[in-house]
Amino acid sequence: MERRLPITVCVIFLQLLALAAYAQPEAPASEPADIWWGWEFVGRMHPMLVHFPVSLLLIAAVMELLTFRRFQSQLRAGINWLVFIGSLSAVIAALCGWLLAWTGEYGGDTFYAHQWSGTATAVLGALAGLLLWAVVRKKRLAFIKAYQVTLLLSSVGVFLAGHYGGSLTHGQDYLLGVTPWGGEDERMAAALGGTPTTVAWQSFAQLDTLDEQQEAQLNMAVRTVLAHRCFQCHSSDKTEGKLRLDQREFVFQGGESGPSILPGDVDNSELIRRITLPAGHKEAMPGKGKPLDDNEVNLIKVWVAKGAPWPEHIKGIFPVAPLEPRRPELPALTKGLENPIDRWVNDYFEGNQLTWPDVVDDRIFLRRIYADLVGLLPTPQQLRDFEKDTRPDKRAQVAAELLGRNDDYAMHWTTFWNDLLRNDYTGPGYITNGRFNISDWLYRALVDNKPYNQFVKELLNPDESSKGFIKGIAWRGAVNSSQTTAMQAAQNVSQALLGVNLKCASCHDSFVSDWKLDDAYAFANIFSENQLEIARCDIPTGEMADTRLLWPKLGDITKNGSVEEKSRELAQLLTQPENGRLYRTLVNRIWAQLMGRGIVAPTDEMDNEPWSRDLLDWLAVNFVDNAYDVKHLLYLITTSKTYQLPSVAIADPATINNADFVFTGVLKRKLTAEQYADAISTIVHPMYPTTSLKYNPEGDEASYKESHPFVRAALVQNDPFLTALGRPSRENIISVRDGQATLLQAMELTNGALLNETLIAGAQEWMATHRDKDGLITAVFTQSLGRQPSEDERRVSHEILGQQMDTTSVQDLLWSVVLLPEFQFIE
Amino acid sequence: MNQYYNRRDFLKTATAGTLGALAAGAPLAGFLSSCSGKQATADAVILLWMAGGMAHTDTFDPKAYTPFEKGLDSNRVLSTFPSIPTALDGISFSEGLESMASLMDRGTLIRSYVAADLGHILHSRHQYHWHTCYEPPQTVSAPHIGAWIAQELGPKNPVIPPFINIGQRMTVGEAEELKAFHTAGFLGSEYGPFMIPDPSAGLDAVKPPAGMSFSRFERRNQLYTELLDQNAIGDLGSDYQKESFKRSMEQAYMLLKSPEAKAFDLREEPEEQYAVYNTGKFGLGCLMARRLVEQGARFISVTSEYEPFMGWDTHENGHVRAGDMKKLIDAPIAQLIKDLDRSGHLERTLVIIASEFSRDMVMEGRPGAEVLHQVEQPDVINDIRNYGMHRHFTDGCSILMFGGGIKKGSVFGKTADERPCKTIENPIRIEQIHQSIYHALGIDQQKHAIVEGRPFYTTPDGVHLPEMALFA
Repeated sequence: MERRLPITVCVIFLQLLALAAYAQPEAPASEPADIWWGWEFVGRMHPMLVHFPVSLLLIAAVMELLTFRRFQSQLRAGINWLVFIGSLSAVIAALCGWLLAWTGEYGGDTFYAHQWSGTATAVLGALAGLLLWAVVRKKRLAFIKAYQVTLLLSSVGVFLAGHYGGSLTHGQDYLLGVTPWGGEDERMAAALGGTPTTVAWQSFAQLDTLDEQQEAQLNMAVRTVLAHRCFQCHSSDKTEGKLRLDQREFVFQGGESGPSILPGDVDNSELIRRITLPAGHKEAMPGKGKPLDDNEVNLIKVWVAKGAPWPEHIKGIFPVAPLEPRRPELPALTKGLENPIDRWVNDYFEGNQLTWPDVVDDRIFLRRIYADLVGLLPTPQQLRDFEKDTRPDKRAQVAAELLGRNDDYAMHWTTFWNDLLRNDYTGPGYITNGRFNISDWLYRALVDNKPYNQFVKELLNPDESSKGFIKGIAWRGAVNSSQTTAMQAAQNVSQALLGVNLKCASCHDSFVSDWKLDDAYAFANIFSENQLEIARCDIPTGEMADTRLLWPKLGDITKNGSVEEKSRELAQLLTQPENGRLYRTLVNRIWAQLMGRGIVAPTDEMDNEPWSRDLLDWLAVNFVDNAYDVKHLLYLITTSKTYQLPSVAIADPATINNADFVFTGVLKRKLTAEQYADAISTIVHPMYPTTSLKYNPEGDEASYKESHPFVRAALVQNDPFLTALGRPSRENIISVRDGQATLLQAMELTNGALLNETLIAGAQEWMATHRDKDGLITAVFTQSLGRQPSEDERRVSHEILGQQMDTTSVQDLLWSVVLLPEFQFIE
Repeated sequence: MNQYYNRRDFLKTATAGTLGALAAGAPLAGFLSSCSGKQATADAVILLWMAGGMAHTDTFDPKAYTPFEKGLDSNRVLSTFPSIPTALDGISFSEGLESMASLMDRGTLIRSYVAADLGHILHSRHQYHWHTCYEPPQTVSAPHIGAWIAQELGPKNPVIPPFINIGQRMTVGEAEELKAFHTAGFLGSEYGPFMIPDPSAGLDAVKPPAGMSFSRFERRNQLYTELLDQNAIGDLGSDYQKESFKRSMEQAYMLLKSPEAKAFDLREEPEEQYAVYNTGKFGLGCLMARRLVEQGARFISVTSEYEPFMGWDTHENGHVRAGDMKKLIDAPIAQLIKDLDRSGHLERTLVIIASEFSRDMVMEGRPGAEVLHQVEQPDVINDIRNYGMHRHFTDGCSILMFGGGIKKGSVFGKTADERPCKTIENPIRIEQIHQSIYHALGIDQQKHAIVEGRPFYTTPDGVHLPEMALFA
């Protein structure tokens, strides 16, 4: 028996060797020269070998426990073999492990925990083997207890070493990550995975040379891939292989394997070799998570092939827009383009080899500017007058006139600001007094055209009437630490007023920007009575938050100051002209509102590249120069030739925010729910009774009726009709509404009670005022669409009205016209 | 849709299974799920929502019964009804659920649902959490589970909206909070719920508007289409807007005129059948759900309707009211299961009966996290109005599941037999419940949307696994 033991061990060992050779076909032939490949090869057998001691020692321990009372049980011989082979293989496995550690790049707490628990297991296992040998061969019966204890201890070691080994291979918290209370790292890893880049590599591959902007776009696309796919192990937190990919200099500098990329040399760039290795290869990257997809790989290849362009001024991975205001010099007057916007756009058009199309006709212009400034349709009379008007500046005149209609202006823009400031008449939070509405303050601010710096000051350092924005929504009960009202304030101020997304960073360091957890907390602290403790993924860290602005160079906030004090300082510091960010964000939002897309898109991410930085920067400083006057800005835009260009269709809404967007004119837009309801109220019949007013600027219903022909939809509570047409619930900031038509919307328009009742009431009024079919058809078309019906339209309309026009057929005609896309879209 | 598990993931999990099986039981579920693959076992879901907090000890998890008598010590009362046997040996229900009890051999009873600890109780927050898998408030608008399913799988029958909600009016107290989760959120309103507040008027939702004959409706649509053709639509609206507008109008028209729309009409149902279901609005909702599933609905939620202090929200007179609620639900749910089973639809339809949390006579919240109570419960009961489960309890709730690949005649988890009657075996949370539903439907465990540049998963961070023990 003893003689056979070495033979058995040898046989097993050889079999393992064979298995290893089979299982590791991809073991690379050439490694850094200083380590002989054989050592590494043997080292890599560690993961296979560990399963022997794992199973053998555990089974032995279990059998030992089962026969605890009788040492000389029938299982004795079996247990002995299990312990002998198990302890021997534990020693071999541990040795291989040490070899592996020596030849590979391992480190960190988990690794050391695994290394030492594994070693301890091997030592304990060997000790158990020796003790057992002493008992059975030397009859030292006194060692039985010691042997049993050692064996049990070694099996505990097996658990520990196995757990840490698993964590090494599969990521920390692999085990506890699935439990509801654990697994922070795993969650974050999951949160990282699979964020796609929207830029297609082909668009760059075809180009022989890239201009500055294309280089920036390609570079941005590559940085996006690096951020989402490589950062977890190669950035400031973790620097595996001594490689960092989060900053320009580090990317070119490379890591332990030398430079990560050789600009222009795709074939010899280490990074490309690694990301194109087959999945499962030891050196394949990313080492964790899904492999890069084809587009991601090709983007990096194209980027390297084109010489790996990385603009000097961009240091990090994410785009960071300058904070300071910038005053670019206005291009000289050419082509009679007096409006400064047109001069910038002319510059842009020339740079992009675009020519100016003709501006739209009076009808389209009037409908457009009415919808944009006051949210209403022009009447046929207004249109006729306008068309007859021969003054050369009549378009500017109408802009000025509409901006002078303070109430109509306020009622229309209330919708935009309600969405942006998440203000609503009803909604979660009110039930427990956890929310306050700012409708009256907002309406007054719009009617008075309150200078924007003052507007922001009153939001940030509020009185009772404007506190709703900062106070957020306090739900009853306990909330996640990333959703305290102070943190909500930080998120909402950042998003709505500064175009910064702080939501990710309020839970953990952001993966989509450079904002860190402590930045978010320091900003939130300004809104908090008590100093906040930083919590990471809702787990308190014990660290107290600082108190500072997102851009400390704007000035200091008194630490430990009262909320009033801090708010006052915040209002002052954020609105100073030096904060170019605040004003760029605002002018960009207004631009997007009128043009269908911002100069920067999305409007909540002001660090993105604008399609014209000059235009954006100029608009922002011009806005400050003109006393923060929003109406002045609106006047400037709506009187530009640029605003009067024909509208442009978008084939795929998903591409609208792409970096390769080229501006050629106003995008086609759908009427908002409020604009649409108001248009129906104008043409057909008022949709809402005065009793439905949720905010009445006139105080009482009678006064409202006196001064307004119908109830504006912006002033009523959200209902199924408005919801179906896209009015959002305003728990969160909404800076862009869904433009897509939906089944629910079509159902509401086809058989919804509200529209149907409005049509019934409206048809009776139309019948009463129009006896003649032809006249009625003409009137419906001119009032709804601002034009006569075509002959074919007139024919079909007659058919709809039928031989004998009645209220139902008039309803059907009205319905058919208000459902025409021409009626629903702003051309 | 992504591959459920690719080779690499599989190897990862398989190796982990070896190690993990030794280290602990937890990763084993992942191992098993990877082996079972992504074969969907269900293609429709009916969620029967017990709104307001249904006490487990007075329904599906009865404890020692203490009948009412004057001078009764509140602390002694665990259940206010006697137990009745079910079709499953050793498993009892509370009295009043006889019809459902007779079907217990066809489904799985989860007795260990643990609701979130959200502090001072607000029903709508827990309901939001149950239906979206996220605790409110959130920084973005989280979609209802029905919206995720609608977005991923689309309608089963193209004319039936993929996400239908039956029985909840949005005009009752706390409705604003309810609206916050009856939404597709950032997925877009296209996937939002098709609301039928009153099933007996369900047909109104899918027929021409009031006062319009069908022939007029047809004619109006036909002439409108003609007018549309004359109108220069080609120049108007961007392509996607034009497309989506035309498509949605056609869909609406199809639904309104389709024979399937009859599924919404309960008068079509034979009188006897109708009578069995007709215990009230909820029962008729079950009937409509059955009719809709037969016609190819995807996700339907039928609610007993949440209205503060109504229905299962028994802040007083709990015993009597729980009895009434059981009368409301027992027959129609049982009939629904039987009907679906008989027609063969149960095999591919997952039916879930659940509530946002449970109730207890004296404990508010959960052991160790007791919160401000909302009902004065006297230590000694002298009035029957004080006899009942009046406080909110989050640490042990029952969920029933039938069909769609769920194990037949099985019980998962356990609560203590003494107060606090909390979960003591196999605690299961909402993330696993959702993942189990997605698993049954063959929806990737990692499904997510990109919102504001970051991934947002169906269950937080996409790390949770389905509970495979629930499946056959």
